[in-house]
Amino acid sequence: MRVPLSWLRDYVDIQLTPEQLAERLTLLGMEVKGLERWGSDWQHVVVGELLTVARHPRADRLSLTTVSLGSGESLEIVCGATNIRPGQRVPVALPGAVLPGDRRIERTEKMGIVSNGMLCSGEELRLTADADGILILPAETPLGAPLVDLYGDIVLDVDVKPNRGDALSMVGLAREVAALTGAPVRFPETDPAETGPAIGDRLHVEISQPDLCTRFVGRWVGGVTVGPSPDHVQMRLIASGQRPVSNVVDASNYVMLELGKPIHTFDARAVRDGRLIVRLARDSEPLETLETLDHVQRDLTADTLLIADPAGPLAIAGVMGGATSEITSATTDVVVESAIFDPVSIRRTAFRYALRSEASLRFEKGQEHRLARLGADRTARLIAEWAGGDVAVGVIDTDPTDPPPAAVAFRPARVNRLLGTSLTGREQQGLLDRVGIQAQPASPGTRIQVAGHPRPLDVDPGAEAVLLASVPSWRRDLLVEADVVEEVARVRGYELVPAILPHTPMPAHRRDPLRLRDAVRATLAGAGLTEAVTFALASPAMVERFGPLSAVTVAGEGSPGGRPVVVTNPLSTQHSVMRQSLIGSLFEVLATNTRQGRGDVAIFEIGKGYGRSDDGESTHEWWRLGFVLTGAAQAAHWDRAARAYDLDDGKGLLELLASRLGLPSVVYQPLRDDPNLHPGRAALATAGDGLVAAVGEIHPSVMAALESRAERVIVAEVAIVGLSGGQPSVPQGTTPSRYPEVERDIAVVVPTERAALDIVTAVRHHAGPLLQAVHLFDIYRGRPLADDERSLAYRLTFAAPDRTLTEVEIDAAIAAVTTGLVTDVGGRIRT
Amino acid sequence: MDLADLTRDLEALASDTLAAAAAAPDAATLDALELDVLGKKGRLTGVLRGIGALSADERPRVGAVANEVRARIQTALAGRGTDLRGTELAARLSAETVDVTTPGRPIRRGSLHPINETIAEIADIFGQFGFVVYEGPEIEDDLRNFQMLNIPPDHPARDLWDTLYVDVDGHLLRTHTSPGQIRVMHDEKPPIRALLPGRCFRYEAIDASHASEFFQVEGLMVDEGTTMGDLKGLLDQFAKAMYGADKRTRFRPGYYPFTEPSVAFDVECVVCGGSGCPACSRTGWMTILGAGMVHPVVLQYGGLDPERYQGFAFGMGVERIANLRHSVGDLRLYMDNDLRFLEQFR
Repeated sequence: MRVPLSWLRDYVDIQLTPEQLAERLTLLGMEVKGLERWGSDWQHVVVGELLTVARHPRADRLSLTTVSLGSGESLEIVCGATNIRPGQRVPVALPGAVLPGDRRIERTEKMGIVSNGMLCSGEELRLTADADGILILPAETPLGAPLVDLYGDIVLDVDVKPNRGDALSMVGLAREVAALTGAPVRFPETDPAETGPAIGDRLHVEISQPDLCTRFVGRWVGGVTVGPSPDHVQMRLIASGQRPVSNVVDASNYVMLELGKPIHTFDARAVRDGRLIVRLARDSEPLETLETLDHVQRDLTADTLLIADPAGPLAIAGVMGGATSEITSATTDVVVESAIFDPVSIRRTAFRYALRSEASLRFEKGQEHRLARLGADRTARLIAEWAGGDVAVGVIDTDPTDPPPAAVAFRPARVNRLLGTSLTGREQQGLLDRVGIQAQPASPGTRIQVAGHPRPLDVDPGAEAVLLASVPSWRRDLLVEADVVEEVARVRGYELVPAILPHTPMPAHRRDPLRLRDAVRATLAGAGLTEAVTFALASPAMVERFGPLSAVTVAGEGSPGGRPVVVTNPLSTQHSVMRQSLIGSLFEVLATNTRQGRGDVAIFEIGKGYGRSDDGESTHEWWRLGFVLTGAAQAAHWDRAARAYDLDDGKGLLELLASRLGLPSVVYQPLRDDPNLHPGRAALATAGDGLVAAVGEIHPSVMAALESRAERVIVAEVAIVGLSGGQPSVPQGTTPSRYPEVERDIAVVVPTERAALDIVTAVRHHAGPLLQAVHLFDIYRGRPLADDERSLAYRLTFAAPDRTLTEVEIDAAIAAVTTGLVTDVGGRIRT
Repeated sequence: MDLADLTRDLEALASDTLAAAAAAPDAATLDALELDVLGKKGRLTGVLRGIGALSADERPRVGAVANEVRARIQTALAGRGTDLRGTELAARLSAETVDVTTPGRPIRRGSLHPINETIAEIADIFGQFGFVVYEGPEIEDDLRNFQMLNIPPDHPARDLWDTLYVDVDGHLLRTHTSPGQIRVMHDEKPPIRALLPGRCFRYEAIDASHASEFFQVEGLMVDEGTTMGDLKGLLDQFAKAMYGADKRTRFRPGYYPFTEPSVAFDVECVVCGGSGCPACSRTGWMTILGAGMVHPVVLQYGGLDPERYQGFAFGMGVERIANLRHSVGDLRLYMDNDLRFLEQFR
């Protein structure tokens, strides 16, 4: 809420500097987010008096004026306005002046006569809404004074929290200032002089929905002259962010800002028979319609609360008025509506019609019962003051009885138990008194309301002392004991709360789910990859293309997949569906970076996939690691050419992870049916039952469809058991053998399509228990082999923990492997 | 062959060998010479073969001479060897000299994302005070995201969270990590000290200070007798660990439906140090998180008796914490994933 300090001072004396006030209000809970110096953009604008006003000799529409600034020579200034007369005091922008909007004023020649500056309109100064005439200042305005000294102001931007609707007003904030300084609050005069007809002759109100309109106060003002508001009113409204409209409309807006009470005014002539009916829109076909003030024809759904007359809807209650009953320059008689509506109904209606306004915002937060009458009276009084006319005698008031003040019982000891303080009951009473809360000892048997709706709880305080806090009518947020605790704390200031370290019992140990992910992250960063964090919300096209890798599932992590979860109110289609794979997001990151001319990209992300069950009842989320590689795996150096990333780098990373996490060695199977991956360059990787991954090169046609600039892109998506909650396995230390290892090389020639996995499997199967490791160290194609053959050379390592192996033992193992390779994989041994 | 002949032959072998050693061009020649003269089947052994012809009293004398000659040759060979190896080593070192001022062979280095690193840092700091990490789903139900947090349907406080809804009945994308409070209270018995990091979503147009996806870390401590003083002390420790031990901190009133009382937690401006600057709107303070005492309604929804248990919760935006720590001025940088940005975080 924007609060001009000069306006706030109407209701409370303020001795503090603006900066002090801002800080103190902030520490009281009324956060001042900004201090605006209103008028600081008027430079070299001073008060002048018109000495002469004559027609410009060469231009009928211009006037030639001489202006006195009180000292020095008078200035000749050319002016286009028609409302100026000698003797008036006006704002003068001198040459060199700067006006709002960075408008610069220089000495200029206008139709042959030099103009030494400019006379300013209210609109040019952003002081009033009047753009046509020069702003005429009061006759006693000091000559030559800088305008900023007279009309400059400080505007506080106060962030009023949603629970403090009462403070969305000058008077409400004045109460907060009073709580700080102890100064009294001056509530404005509200009683209008009732000089008109009896209201009963002019206005009747029927409430057909008393649950949605708990109080309606109506006033009637006849014989008004609609026109601009007084300048000082316009200045206040503009500084507060409200556009001045007319004296009648401005009166209602002024009261909304002053008291926090939204008011609506109707042209009385548009109210048939002077009868207002508060009712819901009819559940009819077709729906009732209303042209609202913004000149939009709206269909009114049956749960819309209306202000109507016997002929039909006049306004959407609490949200927006209708065009037919709008105050216009022709209006003479005005009906003032000051009502209290159900907050939920108003909120729903404002959302439904996308018409949230300053008024609906205040209604949504609930309104003080008293304000209905005070607001009606104050508005009628201001209309009569600013627009003339006679206020009808009496009011229409559907519920004139003020409800009894609410009371909240609290235990002063509980206040201290929550805050960690030791304030006495008397001290707490004193603090509450500053915000208008009287706390007195409660009668025996008073129970404590610990929690309210929707999980109410009240307790017997036992032997503890209890105070009963009598809550001011405007404070609708104080309902339970904890609310009183906050009042005590904020009025006293939180510096009273001691800063201590907990000395209560510690919780039991629990494994940190971040630990495994952090191990994976550190490993991959160490291997040269950069971690990315991308959006979980993706475009429908991307989610469709990069679906859940259904082959990549491990036990114990929930099943990935299901239908994608779709956002029903997305900001953009680009971010409208929850992704099911990380590959698409990472591919986009890669594309962004390659577009910037970045050829080498190696990135990874640990993130979730999301899906929902087919019946749409439940959702599930699964953790994945994804990585994407393109460009140089090794940068070019003066003694070495660059080496591009290929599938083996992706596989190497998987093996690095498996080894880091203590998993068995990684085994690959061809993965031919993933539409996004090259059918001949993709594999499904497994490491025992602890790691499953798809790794491969992006399919050339996908690269083309996504218009990738990269040449080849290697991707992988990895499920690691318990990525969300598991731990790296604990390595077990075995004593290295004291006996030497023996290495033997063996090369086997097989048909090209024979997978290396088959050969290794055969070697392991036949080599016996002495085999320690099998390492593929060469693959050869070419002469003297046949075209459809290749030779794979392996280094086999043998050892025993308890002895040095003999040649005989090793020869026997090699012989077994040799025979096995021939029979199992149809290979021949190359010698 | 008599004693004199033998002695003469030995002397001749010595002088021959010494001359050959002095003339040897390299260590390999010298090694060959040594083998030729002193080896098992070498020339010295050959000369001494004549010793059998001598009388018993002459043999020791020849033996003495032979030992003296062997020692003389060995000394000479060793000396020459040292010289030659020194020369050869010097030549090798000279030949192998490279330009050490060229840059080294590049090793690809990666980097870790500042969001995750900040979460790790936060978890580390609170971990020292016994806070353990929990995680909850990102697709939440309205119940836990709002209603059990004391935010009924159509409550004006819902304006604080512009929400993205999904096509699953009663579900939405969590707008904050606070629903985790309900989950932890249900799953655990006090004493509870929980930290809940994770991704959150808002219906929010993206600009320098707003994001539709962002990360939060929620903290929750509940026990008998946990006070706001504990909250203040812990957050003060956190701020000092994150931004410097000299940083002052303060509480000021705030508003959250799920805490009462609620506070905002301010740290002395990390830019100006408290004197006032544009970064802190000239207040000298920067708000880094919101907190408060868990509302009795929330404790009850967590299955706890608010008369027995009390505690605090806090929630911080990870990007905000990271911004202040790393002097980053634009939230969008975190999710843009421009490698030139990310690679600064090592």
